[in-house]
Amino acid sequence: MGTLNVENVYAGYGSGPNILKGLSLTVESNKTYCIIGPNGAGKSTLLKVIAGLLKPREGQIKFNDEVISGLRPDQIMQRGLCYVPSDRSLFPDMTVKENLRMGGYVLRNPRLVKRRVDEVFTMFPVLKEKSSQAAKTLSGGQQQLCAVARAMILKPDMIMLDEPSLGLSPKVVQQIFGTITDLRSQGMTILLVEQNARKGLQIADQGVVLDLGTNSFERPAAEVLQDPRIQELYLGKRRQPLVTEAQK
Amino acid sequence: MIQAIQVLILGLALGGVYALMSSGMTLIFGVMRIVNLAHSAFIIMAAYIAFWLFNLLHVDPILSIVLTMPMMFVVGMLYYRILFASRADNPRFIDITVLITFASSLVVEGLLAFFFTGIYRSTTPDYAKRSFNFGPFFVPESQLFATVISIVLILGLWLFLRYTRVGSAIRATMQNRNAAQVVGVNVTWVSTLAFGIGLAMAGASGSLLSFIFTFFPAKHVAWIGMIMCLVVLGGMGSLMGALVSSFLLAAASAYVNFYIGSAWSPITFYLALFLILLFRPQGLFGKKVEV
Repeated sequence: MGTLNVENVYAGYGSGPNILKGLSLTVESNKTYCIIGPNGAGKSTLLKVIAGLLKPREGQIKFNDEVISGLRPDQIMQRGLCYVPSDRSLFPDMTVKENLRMGGYVLRNPRLVKRRVDEVFTMFPVLKEKSSQAAKTLSGGQQQLCAVARAMILKPDMIMLDEPSLGLSPKVVQQIFGTITDLRSQGMTILLVEQNARKGLQIADQGVVLDLGTNSFERPAAEVLQDPRIQELYLGKRRQPLVTEAQK
Repeated sequence: MIQAIQVLILGLALGGVYALMSSGMTLIFGVMRIVNLAHSAFIIMAAYIAFWLFNLLHVDPILSIVLTMPMMFVVGMLYYRILFASRADNPRFIDITVLITFASSLVVEGLLAFFFTGIYRSTTPDYAKRSFNFGPFFVPESQLFATVISIVLILGLWLFLRYTRVGSAIRATMQNRNAAQVVGVNVTWVSTLAFGIGLAMAGASGSLLSFIFTFFPAKHVAWIGMIMCLVVLGGMGSLMGALVSSFLLAAASAYVNFYIGSAWSPITFYLALFLILLFRPQGLFGKKVEV
C-alpha cells in the first residue's frame, strides 16, 4: 500500500502564476523517493498540493488508486498519507505529548490516540523524556523528530517530508536521516524533498529532479548521484571521490 | 483604610463583567486575528434583547443568558460565514476585517437606534436595588451576581478549550494556523465556531450589564475603547490575560474614580494601554509575535 500518482498537475498560489506546470510523478509503494531541484522549482508546492493544503488548478492525484485531489487535508490523512512541512509546524505552547495527541486529531478516538502516542514514545524515547515540555523549548532536531513522530500517530502508508534537515547541525542531520532510514526499512513509502541533495539521494531508492515546475529527470538514486550533469548542478564539483564514498 | 478596601471591593465587583466582555474579543482575535470592533455593539444588542425580555415577559436578566448566549452564538457564526470566511485567504485580510467590523458596529448601532430609539435603558430586577452587607463593607448584589456568573462562564470556556477535542482544535489554530491544517483541523469550521463562542460571551455580557449599567445604542463607542485596552493589556488572544487585566483595571479605575474624580476614570484604561505598549507591547500574558 502507498502508491501515489500525480498526473499532469498545474498549481499556484492565489491568482499568481503556475508554480507546477504539468507535473507528473509516480511514487511506488514501499520505496523512498528524493526530490531535488533549485529554489523555486516547486518542490514544496508539490507536497502541499498532494497533502491537500493547496488545490491543483488542473490534473489529478491518486493515492492507492483513489482520486484524492480536491479532498480536504483531514480526508487525505485518513487515507494514510501524511505530511511534515519544512517549518515543522508544531504548536509552540503545547507540550510534546499534546502535540502528538493533535497528530491523532482526525482519529476521533481518545483511547486509540493515547495508545498510538505510547507506541510513538517507544519508537522515539527522546520525546518521551521531554513529553511534558512545551514544544518551543525543544532543540531543532528534537522539534523535527516531534513533527515526524506526530505524523506517525496515524500509522500512514506514506509520509512526505519537506526539508527535514533544514537549519540543523550536521550531527543532528545525521540522526534525522538515521530515523528516515529506519522508517524506510519498516516498509514505509517516503517522499522526501531535500536541499541537501547528496544526503537525500544516499538514503533514497529513486531520485527525481524538479525544474521550473516539471519533472525533468527521474532515475534510480544511485544513477542520479553519478550523473555528471546533476553532480555539477546540485552536488558540487567533487565528483569521483563522492560517488565511491556513497557506494561504500 | 476601611474606605480604601470598600473602593477596592466595588472595583473588583465590576472586574468580572469587564473580563467577560473582553474574553469573547480576545478569543476572536486569537483564533482569526480579527480585531472585532463591533464587539461592544453586539454586547449592546444582547443588552436590548435582555431589556425587552424583562420588560415584556418579565424574564429575569440573569436567566435571559440562556437565550442571549445561543442567539448571539448563531449571529456570530452567520456573521463570520457571510462576511469573513470567503476572504480568509486574502493577503490583506486583517485590513479588510478592521473595515468590516467598524462598518458593522455602525450598522448595528443604527439599527438599534432605529428600532429602540436612543433612550437610556437598563433592566431593574429586585436585586439591582439591594446590596449585600458584611461588617463595615457592602457590595451591590447586582455587581456581585454579575461578577460571579462571569467568572463561572469564563471558567467554563477555559475548561472547554482545555479538555475537549474541539477546544484543543481551537487552541491549536490560535497557536499555529498552518500546523492546525497540517494535522487535519478544518480551520474554517473552527473559526466559525470560535466567532460564535466569542459572540455568545458578548451575549452573556449584554444580559449582565443590562442591570449594572445604563445603555443606549451609541454607548458601544465608549466600551470598545475600554475592551480594547483590556485585551491589549492582557495580551491579545490570552484568556487569562483578559481576566487578570480586567480585575486590575477595574480596581485601578475605581480608585481613580474615588480619589481623583470620575472624569479621570476612563483615563486609567488609556494610561494603562499607553504604559503597556511602551514597556511590554505583547501584553501581560501575550507572546511576542513574529512576522
